[in-house]
Amino acid sequence: MKVINQLAVVDAEKCRGCKTCERVCPVLAIKMENRKAVVDNERCRGCANCEQRCPDYAIKMVKLEQPVLVKVDVSAVDYALVEDLCRKAKFNPEQLICYCTATRAEEVAAAILQGARSPEEISFLTGVRTGCKVECIQPILRLLEAAGIKPEPPKGGWQWYGRTVTVWEIPEEVKKKYASRGFYFDEDIKILDRVANAPVQERSDS
Amino acid sequence: MRPPITPLAPRPSQYGIDPSLVKTRASDLPGMTSVMLRELFPDLPEVIFPCEEGVAAIRKATEESLENVDMSMIKPEHSVNILAAHHGFTLLGGEPYAEMLKTIKDVIEARTGCKSIRLRAGVGLRFRETEEYIKRYGLDQHFNGKAIGVAPVDQGIAIETEVGTLYGIKKIYDADWVVHAHNSDVREVHFHRQVDRAVKPFGMAYARIETRSTYHQNLGPRAANFTARAIFDSPFVQSKFAFASFLTVAPNGIINVDADNDLYALNDRITQSGLRYYGKIMTLFGEIDECIAVLDFPCPVVYVFAAGVIYANFAGANTDLYDLDTALPAYTWYTEAFYGKRGKPLLDEIPRVNPAIKMCVHNYAWTGYPSAFFSEHIPTVVVGQEQADHFNMDPQNLTYMKHAMVAEDLKAAMEFAYKVTGTNKAVIFDGAMGGINVSKPLAEFLLKKAPEVSKRVDEELLPKWLRQRGVIL
Ligand code: SF4
Ligand code: SF4
Repeated sequence: MKVINQLAVVDAEKCRGCKTCERVCPVLAIKMENRKAVVDNERCRGCANCEQRCPDYAIKMVKLEQPVLVKVDVSAVDYALVEDLCRKAKFNPEQLICYCTATRAEEVAAAILQGARSPEEISFLTGVRTGCKVECIQPILRLLEAAGIKPEPPKGGWQWYGRTVTVWEIPEEVKKKYASRGFYFDEDIKILDRVANAPVQERSDS
Repeated sequence: MRPPITPLAPRPSQYGIDPSLVKTRASDLPGMTSVMLRELFPDLPEVIFPCEEGVAAIRKATEESLENVDMSMIKPEHSVNILAAHHGFTLLGGEPYAEMLKTIKDVIEARTGCKSIRLRAGVGLRFRETEEYIKRYGLDQHFNGKAIGVAPVDQGIAIETEVGTLYGIKKIYDADWVVHAHNSDVREVHFHRQVDRAVKPFGMAYARIETRSTYHQNLGPRAANFTARAIFDSPFVQSKFAFASFLTVAPNGIINVDADNDLYALNDRITQSGLRYYGKIMTLFGEIDECIAVLDFPCPVVYVFAAGVIYANFAGANTDLYDLDTALPAYTWYTEAFYGKRGKPLLDEIPRVNPAIKMCVHNYAWTGYPSAFFSEHIPTVVVGQEQADHFNMDPQNLTYMKHAMVAEDLKAAMEFAYKVTGTNKAVIFDGAMGGINVSKPLAEFLLKKAPEVSKRVDEELLPKWLRQRGVIL
């Protein structure tokens, strides 16, 4: 869930058509037209990634007069399915997976159950990955994978490259090799499992 | 009682309010004093900075430490990337770190004849932060225009590791050799827990979003630290790694410069000094029974410093951040993630935020780090509507002000805080060098508690902490 209170605006005079902004936009809201960047205002989620990476400082973030709320309605899907999907990906449904927008695993799961098929669609629908743009890509990929979906990264983009290892998948020989260096793999598996399986505090469909 | 120490001036930055809006510094308020850190812990080391000589002392120490480093792998026709990170520029005004970077370049050039030496400076969550520092410290000129800031959303490169593919930033590795130029300041102990601190940037400042998300979401609060080691040990990174040069830092200043071709040997040395020196301050902070925390430093909320310790660590000082038997500190992203919809942790065993912080007065701190957890769990007063507006326009802090109040000025905020909390203890996170700015009652409290804390760390805690990390003294 996110309240969008700003939009990216391109200064066409300054834009040199390098495509950096198009490659980093987490919701694919930027397209090149006549070698200039053009923002789709309906898609922009106000994350400022483009503004922060444009090498020519051609993008400004502009405050929206009327903020827009983006949110997936969790109660529109069977909560048992939401719970199943989250726990299969080893998340508690109430676990925060995006710290900036306070989006919980259940909302991303609900987006997937309602048809979202890629991190870009999920970000567009929930606002997740439009705050810091860094920390929440793995939970999104894990939840998609748990739903049997294998998304492809946007062609030519730098949005994301792939899912990486989780603690449950660390090979035993690696754990053994570094057992005395303070990494506590098995102990962390225990706490993450306990969190994933903890009861929810408030069901979204109740 | 000593007068307060003059804190670092506010800095112009896109991540903070205009310095002219910071009308009063907390250290200028009536009733504030300072305590020197060596008064608290006389065994803190001698420092080479701050000093009268200024950054010349850093240049000298860097040159001396590099004498013991093998650079024979670097040929005149090669290219070298000196890898830096934003954090170093927040230490003691930033000049010492900038000077170390300049000196490393000069020494490599003089010793190897290599001319293609570039600076690649990574960031945290403020993607243009090191761009700002590169200009401020003249690094662009010193590196002949070959100094750039790199961000985790920039083009990536796949790195094969013993736990599968992880991703680095392509521009970090686009040279024949890389030199890891960092510091030993502990900063995010809640994340790294002083495990492989020297290696961390390979999994963070030099890494793509996939890798950083692995650290913060896939591995768990302690196993996370393996991310950096996996990348650093990869054949790809090993084929490029030349050496490391670190500012070694204690809470009271810069101890020296330590350079080595063996990063793990350097890592063991800074693990010891980090646990010993910061462990004492951190443990002493855990003793504070009640106080008002005042933020007054040009850094995001979590990173403002007092006595070399950041506010995020103070928020978790009710737990022993160094004790690896404790899975979750009271603040870390895993902990934050594990609060359910009712605003309570999902498991009873998850510790709450340090109850000693009765109120936070946010006089001056930056955006660019998700900080709503703090205002949600610690009563927070933000000084000035402009600062509140600035937070409301940060995509990472859209709800920070939902939980915080706004005061017109610092004086009003502090009067309110003293009255409502009933405590007369206040600690100022303003990066004061060599000491700590506090209210008089807190100064007395800290001076009284320090000897017992020092003894406990030396005799009980330090041996345990070292054992947990496999570091033998
Ligand atoms: S990043 Fe900047 S210069 Fe490049 S295409 Fe986008 S707006 Fe234009
Ligand atoms: S969503 Fe972010 S990157 Fe995309 S156009 Fe909007 S501000 Fe720019």
